[in-house]
Amino acid sequence: MTAPARIDLDHLSKTFRSRGQVVEALRDVSLHCPAGSFTALIGPSGCGKSTILRTALGLESLDAGSVTIGDMGPEKATRGGLTGVAFQDAALLPWRTVAQNVALPLEVLGRPVAPEAGRIRALIELVGLKGREDALPGELSGGMRQRVAIARALVTEPRILFLDEPFGALDQILRRQMNFELQRIWAETKVTALLVTHGIDEAVFLADRVAVMQAGPGRIVEVVDVPFARPRAPELFSDDTFHHLCDHIAGVLHGGAHVG
Amino acid sequence: MSAEGARYPSTADRVLAAARRLWPVVLLLTLWEVAGLMNWVAGGALPSPSEIAYRYWLDWGDYPRHIRATLIASGAGFLIGNAIAVAAGLMFVLVPVTGRIARGLNIAIFALPPIAIAPILALTLEGMAPRVVLATLGVYFVTMQATVTGLQQFDSRAGDLVRAYGGGDAAVMRFVQIRGAIPAILSGFRVAAPNAVLGAILAEFGGGGRWGLGTYLLGSLGRGDPARLWGIGLTATAISGLSYAVFAILSARMLGRTRAVNLNPAAPPSEARQPLNIPVMAASIALPFVLWWVTLWALQAPRMIGKTPWDVIEYLFFSAQSAQAQERLIAALMQTLPITLAGMAAGMAFAFALAVSSRLTPGFTRAFLPVALVTQTMPLVALTPLLVLILGRGTAVTLWITISVTFFPAYVMIAQGLAQVPRAALELPRAYGATAWRELRLVAIPASAPWAMAAVRLTAPRALLGVMIAEWLATGRGLGNLLNQSRGYMDFNMIWTVALASVLIAVAFYQLALWIERLIMIRMGGG
Repeated sequence: MTAPARIDLDHLSKTFRSRGQVVEALRDVSLHCPAGSFTALIGPSGCGKSTILRTALGLESLDAGSVTIGDMGPEKATRGGLTGVAFQDAALLPWRTVAQNVALPLEVLGRPVAPEAGRIRALIELVGLKGREDALPGELSGGMRQRVAIARALVTEPRILFLDEPFGALDQILRRQMNFELQRIWAETKVTALLVTHGIDEAVFLADRVAVMQAGPGRIVEVVDVPFARPRAPELFSDDTFHHLCDHIAGVLHGGAHVG
Repeated sequence: MSAEGARYPSTADRVLAAARRLWPVVLLLTLWEVAGLMNWVAGGALPSPSEIAYRYWLDWGDYPRHIRATLIASGAGFLIGNAIAVAAGLMFVLVPVTGRIARGLNIAIFALPPIAIAPILALTLEGMAPRVVLATLGVYFVTMQATVTGLQQFDSRAGDLVRAYGGGDAAVMRFVQIRGAIPAILSGFRVAAPNAVLGAILAEFGGGGRWGLGTYLLGSLGRGDPARLWGIGLTATAISGLSYAVFAILSARMLGRTRAVNLNPAAPPSEARQPLNIPVMAASIALPFVLWWVTLWALQAPRMIGKTPWDVIEYLFFSAQSAQAQERLIAALMQTLPITLAGMAAGMAFAFALAVSSRLTPGFTRAFLPVALVTQTMPLVALTPLLVLILGRGTAVTLWITISVTFFPAYVMIAQGLAQVPRAALELPRAYGATAWRELRLVAIPASAPWAMAAVRLTAPRALLGVMIAEWLATGRGLGNLLNQSRGYMDFNMIWTVALASVLIAVAFYQLALWIERLIMIRMGGG
């Protein structure tokens, strides 16, 4: 695997205009993710956390500020295959098999698929779908589809992994299970991960640092360090210190509603 | 399949289930047989199925050549029309301004009553060409629209994903949109196939020639043999229904398991609002006329026969015959328009009543719908003579054709609109003790109004076509009759004038319905 890369978001600002109304989606947001780190972005809906991720992928333009991935801008980084991404919706193409869906980023980047067949199979095994390579998305459960999306995000051997609420549509039990597996996959691949979520326990369980956002305008109000040792076991979810940390983050999220 | 899993239905069970589903059909056929044998309907205008079958057997020598001619013309039109339609749809999506410029032309093609231009095509083209052109025109709009919708309604997340790996518009088109549009395009083919058959038969009807079901029908009209007319009508229906079924099966085979996981929420197929752009709008209106001119010029049609837009204006407003021409046209319009509007209103009301009541009596609807479906598959031009046989040559026949043309699509769309309303919302007024009428006013009418207008927009051209066919064949009134007369007198000016007038009226209907639909949508907070 190639070495992980840094993510540097400096002074991002962005306003949307729709139907004569101006919405300040981001105001002076800065965030630095060291190589190999796991950072979670948490905040209420509409606080701009997905916008940050979309600007980092070059899907959205900025009014001010800069995004640096490794040592390049987002367009160059995405086109160079440095980044992998999984969205809330698995967004699988229904006419492609699991293996073909996983291979899609390679095709978009114009890389040959055939030499990677072995690695694609290994990735599908990594996300626990061995034997389902030729299944179509319609034959899989919601959790399985989400795992395919994770495998697809890893297929380019990215140095950075962007995750936009990848388990948002799953139920609580499945979500815990996927959190645990994501930790394992992250540990095995050693990428720099940026996870956007609105689940406090998910953020604390997975991340080294949790950046807490507030809305109107969207901004980061506090970055909380998560001290738990790795690998983290599912029992952590019932740990007292874990709950304290979650309560603290909830306080920051909630307090903001009155202050902001 | 676990051991204690579902019990497989036995053969006897399956036969019983089939019988339960088929009994309305059996009942209907029996009733029809008895009614036919006893000459209950209009003194024998409705022959019994056995009489039709006997006549069919006697006529069998004629059928193969007629069927073959119709199949060749509609098949060629189907291929050409779909090729053009898919290419045009791709262009409209890739370069949206072309779609806006072609809007006037597209609506004109959708709305033009094929019967109005059949005589023109017969005059300016030769051999099979008029039939192929009319079949092509019948196919084009449906497939073009399906292609555009299919390409535009792609999963935006999948699009984001391709872009997140540095892919541009071309990559999104290649990986997501084209393959994603195939189900929509196939369903377009499915609807287009019967249209091609209708177009070919109409052209045979209006254009002469030796072979073809339309020619056969025309030749049999004077013989007053109901059994033969029914035989031809049912043959045309079977061809049209089979062509639909072939593509229905084909698309089910091809798509099968690859159906999308998340279905796009359906909405009335209304066009997106565009900001007003005067040059584009002017180009859009001018394009059909320019094309008209260019086609005449390319065909080298003699000036006597091929009239340009300017010739028509001159004839109607600045010539010695203007006053008389205007008078004849207005008299015809005054006969055609009221009956068309009345029939459409009745069809809509009937559809609305059935859609609302079908939520209460689903059993009746299930038994009734297959019959309605058959009348929809029957090409209008084959249906009209049969209705004339039964209802006579008066106003009633025109009215019934309009109702039957409007009713079914309107019913489907209104029912679709009602199905979009969550059950809880439908039941909420009743939970507060509302009367049936109040419930209707609070929920059913607002929920189905935009869909009803969409139905008006989509059925108005067909209603006009139905009325004109009836006028041409039976009642001897209105626009259809004026067209038929002018054809007989070789009055080329009037033929072109009627064609233009009927297209303009159909387009006006379409625009008016679209405008009302948008007003309702805006008031309801959608749009």
